[in-house]
Amino acid sequence: MPERPVFPVEHLVARVLLVGGLLGLTLIGLGLGLYAARGGFQGHVLALSPPVDATPPGVFRSLRQIAVGLRQRPLDPLAVGALGLVVLMATPGVAVTLAIPGFLLAGDGRFALIATLVLTMLLVSLLLAGAVHG
Amino acid sequence: MSLTVFTVAVLCTSLGAGVVGAILGLGGGILLVPILTIFYGVDLHYAMGASIISVIATSSGAAASYLRTGLSNLRVGLFLVVATITGALTGAFLAGVVPTRWLELILGLALSYSAYTTIRQLADELPEDVSTDGLAIRFDLEGTYHDVRLQRDISYRARNVAGGFVAMYGAGVLSGMLGIGSGAFKVLAMDYLMRLPMKVSTATSNFMIGLTAAASAGIYFSRGDIHVLIVAPVAIGVLAGAYLGTQVMAHMRNTTVRKLFLPIVVYLALSMILRGLGIHLL
Repeated sequence: MPERPVFPVEHLVARVLLVGGLLGLTLIGLGLGLYAARGGFQGHVLALSPPVDATPPGVFRSLRQIAVGLRQRPLDPLAVGALGLVVLMATPGVAVTLAIPGFLLAGDGRFALIATLVLTMLLVSLLLAGAVHG
Repeated sequence: MSLTVFTVAVLCTSLGAGVVGAILGLGGGILLVPILTIFYGVDLHYAMGASIISVIATSSGAAASYLRTGLSNLRVGLFLVVATITGALTGAFLAGVVPTRWLELILGLALSYSAYTTIRQLADELPEDVSTDGLAIRFDLEGTYHDVRLQRDISYRARNVAGGFVAMYGAGVLSGMLGIGSGAFKVLAMDYLMRLPMKVSTATSNFMIGLTAAASAGIYFSRGDIHVLIVAPVAIGVLAGAYLGTQVMAHMRNTTVRKLFLPIVVYLALSMILRGLGIHLL
C-alpha cells in the first residue's frame, strides 16, 4: 500500500502500537517456546476450567507473581509469557500517554487535552473497577 | 484435549478471528468467546479473559498499520472514546439499578433498525452530500487516505458529530451495563450517523476498542481470568491475523466491508432481542 505523509503524532502512536505489539508477541512466543523446550507440552492435558481452591500454573494475578516467576531458577517460562501479555495490555495506554507530548509538539493543545482526558479516564475506570471487583 | 492440539487449533482459529476483527473493527470477542467455550470447552471466565486480550491484540496489530496509512483517524478516535468511556463508567454504576432486560430489548430493536439502514446503504461506496459540521471543523475531524481499490485519494469530514458523540455515550452505557463489547456500535455510529467512509469507520473503531479494552484488562488479570496457556495462542494468532486483515481490507471496497458487517449486526440484534426475552444464546 503506498504510504502518504501523515502527521507525526499518528506516526508516533502507530510506532508505539507496533513496537508494543511485537515486543508482547516476542515475549509470549519465547515463553511458549521455553515451556515446550522443557517438555511442558508432552502429555499435558490443559485444565480448561479454573480449580476451586488453587491458582493453576499459567495464571498470574499480579505483577509481583510474574516477578517471582522471572526471578526463580530455573526460570518459569509461563512468567515470561505473562510478562508479554502485560506488555500487550499496557500498549494502548502507553500510546495515548506518548500522544500527549506528540500533540503538544504539533501545536495542537486541544487534542493534547483530549488525550490527557482519555488517559485520566482510563486510569479512573481501572481504579473504580479495581475497587468494585477487589 | 492435549495441549499441543489445543494450542495449534486455537492459534489457527484466532488467526481467522484477527483477520475478521481487523476488517470489521470488532475485537474478535463476538467470534472467539462462543468458539472457545462451545468448540474447545474453555471455561467462560478464561474465554472472556482471552477475548479481552484478543481485542487489544487486534487493535495493536491493525491500528498500527491503519494509522500509518491514514485509514484510522486518531482525532476522531480520541474524541469519541471520551464519550464511550464516560458511558461505560455511567453504565457500570447503573448496572443493577435499571432492569437490563428492557435495555436489551431496546438495544436489539435499535440494532434491527441499524441493520435495515445498513441494507439501504449497501451500494453506497462513499458518503455523498456530506454537509458541513461546526464541531468537525473546530476539532479537525477530517482526513484523507489513499484508497488502493479505487486508486485515488479520498478526503472526508465527519458530519453530525454531536449525534455521533451521544450515540457513542449510549453505546458505552450499554456496554458498561450489559458487559458486552461495543465495536459494532462504534462502527455503526461512525458509518451511519457521522457519515465517515466505511473503511475509515472500521479502522478507527479498531484503534478505539484497544483503549476501552485496556481499561478493563487489568481487572480480568487480577481476577485470574487470564491463563497464559489459553491466551498465548489467541494473542499470537490474533496479532498475526490482524496484520493480514489490514492488508486484505486495504484492497476491499467500502461496500464489501459493509456487506461483511451486515451479518454481525443482524446476529447482535437477534441475540439482544432474545436476551431481552430471557433466552440466552450463550
